[in-house]
Amino acid sequence: MNEPAEQPNTYKGNFESLWQIIDSKYCYLDYKNINWDSIHTIYAARVDTVKSTFPFFDLMGNMLNELKDGHVNLYSDFNKSHYWKWFQDYPVNFNTTLIYNSRYLGSNYLLAGGFRYGKISNGTIGYMYYDDFSDAFSDSNIAYIMNYFSACKALIIDVRNNGGGSLDYSKQLASYFYKVETLTGYMRHKTGDGHADFSAPVEIKTPASKNIQWQRPVAVLTNRMSYSATNDFVNRMKKAPNAIIVGDKTGGGGGLPLSSELPNGWLVRFSSSPMYDSAMQDTEWGIDPDVRDSIKVEDQAKGIDTIIERAIKIISQ
Amino acid sequence: MYPMNKIRFLLLFLFATMVVSAQNTDDKKYLLTSKTNTIGISTLSFVDPYLSPLTYDGLAISYDNEARRFLSTENTNISTQSLLNLQAGILLNTPVSSDMLYLGANYGWEMCYHAVIPIKGLKVLVGGLLDIDFGFKNMERNVNNPVNLDISTNLNLSALARYTIPLRHKTLQLQLALQTPVIGYMFVPKAGASYYEMFDLGNLTDAFHFSSLYNKRGLNSTLTVEVPFNRSVWRFGLKMKILRYSANDLVFDKNEFSLLVGTSFDTFNFAGRKNKAPKNFVSTQD
Repeated sequence: MNEPAEQPNTYKGNFESLWQIIDSKYCYLDYKNINWDSIHTIYAARVDTVKSTFPFFDLMGNMLNELKDGHVNLYSDFNKSHYWKWFQDYPVNFNTTLIYNSRYLGSNYLLAGGFRYGKISNGTIGYMYYDDFSDAFSDSNIAYIMNYFSACKALIIDVRNNGGGSLDYSKQLASYFYKVETLTGYMRHKTGDGHADFSAPVEIKTPASKNIQWQRPVAVLTNRMSYSATNDFVNRMKKAPNAIIVGDKTGGGGGLPLSSELPNGWLVRFSSSPMYDSAMQDTEWGIDPDVRDSIKVEDQAKGIDTIIERAIKIISQ
Repeated sequence: MYPMNKIRFLLLFLFATMVVSAQNTDDKKYLLTSKTNTIGISTLSFVDPYLSPLTYDGLAISYDNEARRFLSTENTNISTQSLLNLQAGILLNTPVSSDMLYLGANYGWEMCYHAVIPIKGLKVLVGGLLDIDFGFKNMERNVNNPVNLDISTNLNLSALARYTIPLRHKTLQLQLALQTPVIGYMFVPKAGASYYEMFDLGNLTDAFHFSSLYNKRGLNSTLTVEVPFNRSVWRFGLKMKILRYSANDLVFDKNEFSLLVGTSFDTFNFAGRKNKAPKNFVSTQD
């Protein structure tokens, strides 16, 4: 029963500790074809050139960015490293000025839980915008919202620019659109230090809410910033009976992150447990919509959100 | 003459029965429970690799309650004891960049044999202690693994030596108590398994483990001295606990050093129709 030796609190020691944590615990090295040993060679040579803390942090952050993962961050008291190319290299496809104009939510929208909601398209479509899966909501909130929309023939749930949050809220929100419990995905976790050491897949099921069920058409709007728990929500809604996904491919973030610490006290967050769809396809790189569309410049100039209008057209039929 | 003899006989009979009654009252035995309550200040040192590879050190306060009694008034070779420990502490990692909140509770039940030792003033007890141990560790800064639970049940070997030191004006009791886990069952999650997977998805595979000396070793030692005063007995002591256990390729350490102070007293419970307090005991229930 011997504890693994702790690395010393030196630039070299912290570098080796970070590299080792990723090597043994990060779940996508093989999936993303990352040669982590080569990256060690490249960055270890640079450690000796670092003379102070801020450049050392940048070096470590740059090494982590080789993983191309928005769930991988290095936290210090003065900075947090990040990789944002999963949405920065793509069209935005979302504009708050549009959704808050009078054609959509306007200024008299209602607020419940984390939802901003109102009726659009001459009161025939219910529209809900949810921008953060960390915002709590209750069955009571949703019951009131759906009762408010009782005369609407369809519903839009807009989760564009929702960077994620709680998987519990993702499951809860999806449950209102299922009549029976449904297998919607799988999860595995690392069982050893090897890059391919994973557990058997564990089923992820989306329950059917006992008290609230929306059984009319629903469109879920997505863009590249729909990430992490939002990615999970979209994956669950892919199998919901009356749901359709409209917009851009989600940003992904299919690995449940965990964290560890370096000898100098910095925290590293990393994807640890890969999550899959019901066909055991990895969701790390994102989920394709059922109907792909993007906001047109000319529409935007007229105050029209192309993706919302496309969704209205589909679910109204 | 005859009536006088009768009176003398009656008086003699009365006195004789009174003496017998007095002897019965004096001979009745009461099984006392010896109770001790102590509070302590502790230094803690933890390694919990599920939460962090770093060592966390800190301070805690604790409360201990012990209650020991013989099995019966006739059997004074075997005693049982209940032990309760509650603890709360805050620990920091070495770079002081993160903290850990710790809440702990332990309840044990011990049975000991009072060995006959041919040394005046020395008593030695040996036996076993069955306990349930619970610990809650929270590191707010962590992502998706901010909490780890220490849950275990253990059968421990226990031994106690008590030595009476008569001084000029009072008699001290010096006591050394030792416990070590021998066999048990514990919860230790796999390093890569999140609490979401374990408790939301219900996958507790490889989370529970048999424990024995090959994967769990520890020693709980408490050295105390009891000092009697006019109306109270005070206990002062030191406690040292070291524990290392391992499962799922994770090695955990829990070490503690405490200063203790408390009081000891003996109690007897009077309750019920068949166990009423003697008339010279005054109660608010009367």
